[in-house]
Order: sequence, then structure tokens, then C-alpha cells
Amino acid sequence: MRVVIADDEALLREGLARLLEDAGFEIAGRCGDADALLHMVEVRRPDVAIVDIRMPPNQGDDGLLAAQEIRRRHPDVGVLVLSHYLDSRYAARLLEDVPERAGYLLKDRVSEVAVIADALRRIGEGECVIDPTIVSRLVARKRARGPLDVLTGREREVLALVAEGRSNGAIGEQLFLSRKTVDAHISQIFLKLDLREAPEDHRRVLAVLAFLRSG
Amino acid sequence: MIADGRTALYRALAGIALVAVAAATTAIVRGDPDLALAGESGAALAAELAAAALAVAAAVVTWRAGFIFPVLLATAALAWLVAEWNAPAAGPAFTAGLVLYAAWPPLLAAAALRGLDERPFDRPAAVLLALSFGTAVVLLGLASAAVFDPEARGCVQCPANLLLIADAPGLGDALGRAGLALTAIWTAAFAVLAAARIVGASPARRRLAAPVLLPAVAAVALFGADALHGLDRGFISNDPTDRAMRLAEASALALVAAGVALARLRTRRTRAALARLVLDIGAAPAPGELRARLADSLGDPSLELLHRLEGGEWIDADGRVTELPAAGEREATRVHAGGEEMMAVVHRPGLLDDPALVSELVTMASLALMHERLHASRRARLEELRASRARIVAAADTERRTLERDLHDGAQQRLVAVALAIRLARHRIAAADPTLDTGLAAAEARVRAAAVELRDVAHGLFPTVLADEGLRAALEELSEHTPQLVPRALPAGRFAGEVESAAYFAAVESLRLADHEVTVDAVVENGHLRVVIGAGTVLDGAMIQIRDRVGAAGGTVAARDGELRLEMPCAS
Repeated sequence: MRVVIADDEALLREGLARLLEDAGFEIAGRCGDADALLHMVEVRRPDVAIVDIRMPPNQGDDGLLAAQEIRRRHPDVGVLVLSHYLDSRYAARLLEDVPERAGYLLKDRVSEVAVIADALRRIGEGECVIDPTIVSRLVARKRARGPLDVLTGREREVLALVAEGRSNGAIGEQLFLSRKTVDAHISQIFLKLDLREAPEDHRRVLAVLAFLRSG
Repeated sequence: MIADGRTALYRALAGIALVAVAAATTAIVRGDPDLALAGESGAALAAELAAAALAVAAAVVTWRAGFIFPVLLATAALAWLVAEWNAPAAGPAFTAGLVLYAAWPPLLAAAALRGLDERPFDRPAAVLLALSFGTAVVLLGLASAAVFDPEARGCVQCPANLLLIADAPGLGDALGRAGLALTAIWTAAFAVLAAARIVGASPARRRLAAPVLLPAVAAVALFGADALHGLDRGFISNDPTDRAMRLAEASALALVAAGVALARLRTRRTRAALARLVLDIGAAPAPGELRARLADSLGDPSLELLHRLEGGEWIDADGRVTELPAAGEREATRVHAGGEEMMAVVHRPGLLDDPALVSELVTMASLALMHERLHASRRARLEELRASRARIVAAADTERRTLERDLHDGAQQRLVAVALAIRLARHRIAAADPTLDTGLAAAEARVRAAAVELRDVAHGLFPTVLADEGLRAALEELSEHTPQLVPRALPAGRFAGEVESAAYFAAVESLRLADHEVTVDAVVENGHLRVVIGAGTVLDGAMIQIRDRVGAAGGTVAARDGELRLEMPCAS
């Protein structure tokens, strides 16, 4: 799998490149700002671009803007945004245009090479990936209307994994459930929360995320 | 108004003079009605006497030390009667009658030009008055008398003319005609000057001046017309036309007196309104009330009060520094008290043109004005304090944002990179050495924990989402970090930075101190953002910081029953 890495912190960029090389990924390019990233994606057509959310020139959310631009121009190129922010709003922004082949992970995960590698593979397969920490915070949040109170504990676990972008098969594996049971849980959750079940998994992530983020 | 001794004396003297002159005039007219202007008719004589009495009365009521208008008016009224004295029955007063019979119109014109507002005579007025007195007293009076011998002209019963030098009928006729022609000219000039004054005056001054000036013009113009009527024969006589004119002049003179009364009534009404104003608002009016009352009693709703600070700058009622308006649509009348400029009333041009009105304003309302002024300058200081508090809070927030950025971009990035480097070392070097690998794994875990802690610290300093997306997004995002925060109905709009951060940090402080859920509701009402933070506990510890921030945004905080209510002005 071919990957480009965009991060202005050289130490981190090089370290991540090494780790990924060791894990069997091909590093197709490295750069330190958003403009160079866009150019590199254009020329080298990687499978996935790993993007730091905060980059020059503005040190704001340039990385996220570049990621959205890549999504628009090259829908076949996956994007993994690394962020210091726990805010779900950035994740939601990343997914809102094209909710597939995209991931949003907290930056302190970079040394957990297994997590990164798993995310890259899933993105390569067209799924989307949301950091579990962000999802668990969203699920734990107290709400004025308390819509999650209608779910059982198991259903909440399933919902969180759906929000992280897991497929039904992966959810079954993780929770040691049969595929059929997972399907049944998901139908039940969508019914209880009055959500429409989307045909594709990544659309489903967007719906669940939007639901969790709303009051 | 209580008259002092001197004023009372002058008033008494005016009364005595009136009675004496009126008695003498009555005797002269009755002594030889055929030769009098009033004639046989008792009513005409009564009208003459009444006009004079009214004018003297008007002079007496407006009498004030140093004022010239009342003196001129009273003298004109007496001279008006003296016009009857150039008759045989005048006895020893006959000569006075010869000299002064035409003196009342110039005196009345002078009084009218002076006016109730004691306006100094300007150049055109002075020239006109010199011409009028020269014509009336010198040409028609002294010079004509000097060449007029009544006996030689066939008036055997006439008393002696004490000023006679030599009888010269031809010269006397010429002097008479010239005098009458000049009389017609100056009376017309007076009418033009008066008209110009009235047209050019501000509405306030016009209201004050017109009731006196217009009837005076009428009286003087009637005399001028009578002079034209007598131009052929060379003297003013007592034919039916002259007598009719005399009656009309009497009416006009009475109207002058009425005009004085009317103007006084108006002044008194304004004064009464101001007095009522002071009584109504007492010594401690509510802020802005004085302005409203003044606007009401002076009839200018746009009226504004500005106050002068010791430093010399002007502030409005809210304590904002402002400028006096330049001449044009608005006019500023400066009010002095105790020898120093105290305030300015900004109003429609001409509204306070009457100097008496301004002086009334100062004396009657000075207490209230002083209070209003104190209030405004206190507001100015408060505003200054609020602004400085807002600057401090804003500076602190900028500092926090910078710090947040530095932590994110600097320290946190480095920590993550270090964790990564340790992981690399574990891969490459320590894979074969389990002890080293365990040690490095522990170090990596600590560094990662530090990075997480640092992220939370940086976020607490100043969340980017607050600056980027506003209060609602920031509170919702905060609830992802801190589950016991329950944001409820929140407005989606943006507010001023200090308002948003005050509301946000009030919620953060409440969260820090509360042991249970903290709910946040907010609503925009009447240009204010009202925030209710329900914490279920007493939030005393957080109050100072919250008060500082909310106060800097110009708002207020109230704590009650475990609830914190913030209210801040917002433009949204």
C-alpha cells in the first residue's frame, strides 16, 4: 500500500515513515505543508494520504482543508487526518462531503503502529475510521433529552463501533457475536433511535455521528 | 418677584408722573376741546388716557434696575399725552407742548428697538433714532418753536412761547414741512428695520420680540401717515383725519402694552414649567430624566444635555466622550454656573435664544443639573473602568489563546514525536533486549500520558472552537470532554468575543465547582444574552472570576438557588 505523509514536525514525520515502512507500507512521499501535499497527491497518486490537521502556512486547520480538497479532487485517494483535537466537529467536517475512505485519529496514536496500520487498511478498503476516544466521549455525554437511554448496554457497544466506522463483520469479531446477531442489534438500534438504515457502511457512520453530536 | 426699595420708588414715581400728566392733559383738553386732538368726545380722551396708563403699567411691571426698555416705554407714554399740550389751555406747560408734541414716536421706537430682552442699540438702530429725535425734538420742536409767535399768528389767548426768538412764518412753514417729510421717512425706515429684525430673528427671539415690536411699528407708522397728511399745510393739526389717526395710535399703544403683558406671560409660563420641573424631579432625578423633562417643557424632543468634565472634554448622559455640535442643524447653548462652564444644552437652533430663559434654566434647575452632571461624570468613570476591565480580560484571553497554540504546536507535537522515537528505538534496538524494551515501553507510556494531559491543559486555556464557531459549538464540544455538562437550548448566533468567552468560562468555572450535572440554557432577549447555569450548588468560589468577565462585557451576574444568571448586552 502506498502512503504519503504530511506533517510539519520533521521528527514525527520521519519516525512515522520508518514505523510504517517496517510494517510493510510503501512511503510514496513526505512533506511539511498543505500545498506540497496537494501537489504530491496529484503527482504520485498514493492509496492513502496521512495529514496533520495543523500545518503551515496558517497553522490553523490547513491540514483538514487540504484533506477535504483531496477528497473532492481524487475520491479514490484515502485520507487519514491526525489531530490533537478531541472535537468531533473536525471529524464530522471531514466526513460530511465524501463519507468514505476517510479517517480521523488522535495524534498520540502515531506510536501505536498497529492502530495506524489497521486504520490505513480499512481506509484503503473504502471504510471510514473515527478515533474510539472521540466516539466513547460522544456516547458518554449527558444529554438534555437522553435519547441513548432507550438502548441496552450491548446495543450501546455496537453503536460505538458503528460510529468508529467498523463493518458488521468486524463488530461481530470484536464482540464475539455472530454476523446475524450484529445485524439484528443494528436494526434494533436504528429503529429505537429513529434513524434510517443506509445501504453503505460509511453513510451509516455519518448518520450515527451526526446523531451523537446533536443535543 | 419682590421689588427692592429702589425699584418700588421708581414705580411710585412713574405712577405719580402718570397721574400728574394725565390730570394736566385732561384739564388742557377739557379747557379747549376744539383745539385738542381728543376733541369734544369724552371717549376719545378716555382712550388717550387709557393707552398711556396701560403703557406706563407695562413699563412698571417690567421695571428692573439697569433696564432701559421700561424707562423708554414710560417716557413714551407720558410724551404721548404731552402731544396735547401745544394748546392755549396749557398755561405754563404750553412751551413744553410746542417742543415735545412729536417726541412720543421716537421714544416708542427706541423702546421697541431695545425690546424686553434689553438688546443694545446696533448701528442701524442708533442712526435711525438719531434721525428721529433730531426730526421730532430739534426740527419740529425747538427750531419751529423759536420762530413761532402764537400771538402774531392770531392766537391771542395762547400763553407766551418761552423759546421764541423772532417770529418767521415762512421759515416756520419750511421747517414744519421738512420735519413732517423727514418724519414720514424715518417712520418708514423704522418699519423696515423692525421687519428685518423680525424676519432675521430665531423663532424664540421672534416670539419674545414680535408682540411689542409689531404694535409699536403700527403706532409709529400711523404717526408717519399723519405727518404725510399734514405735509401740505406744514403742521399737524386736529382735523377729523388727525383725530381718527390719534385714536388708532391710542389703540396701537394699548397693544404695545398688551404685547409686553403677553411676552411676560410666556416667560412666566416657561419659568413655571421649569419650576414645576425642579419640583417634580427634586434634587435627585433619575438618570436622563432631567433631559426628558427639559425636552418636554421646552418643546424640543431631540434636546440633549452634555456635561463638561474638569479636563475640558464633553460627555453625554451615558458618560461617553463627545463633541459639541458645529453650527448648523443643532445648536449648543453653554450653561455657566459659579463662573465656570458646566454643561451645554444641545437643541434646535434658536430654542434657547432668550438669555432670560437660559438664566432661569440655570437658577431653577441648578441642583438637578449638578446632580445630572455628577451622575454623568460617574458614568464616565464607570465606563472607563468597564473599558479597562474589558481590556484586561481581552488581553488575558489573547494570552491564553497564544499559550494554547504554543502548547499544541510546540510542546505537544514534540512529546508525540518523542513517544514515536521511543517506539522506533524499541523496534530497532531493544527488540532483542527484553529488559531495555520494558523500560522503554514504560517511558513511552509516560510520555504519551503527558501528551494527553498537555492536550487537556491546552484545551482548558482557550478552546479554538469558541473563537472559530462560537458559544453553542464550544459548549457542545465541552460536553464531549466533560459529560456532566448538559447544554440545553442555546442560540446558534455569534456574539462579541468577550460575551462568548464570559458565558463559556462561567460554565467552565461552574463545572469545576459542581459535584453534579451542570445545565446551561441561553436565550437572546431585548438585545441581551441571558444565560442560566444550573449547578445545584452554591458557586461562591467562582463568582469573582465570573463577575470580572461578565462585568467586562457590560453585563450582570446573579446567583440564587444554585443557579447562576448572567445577562450581557449583545448586538446579535
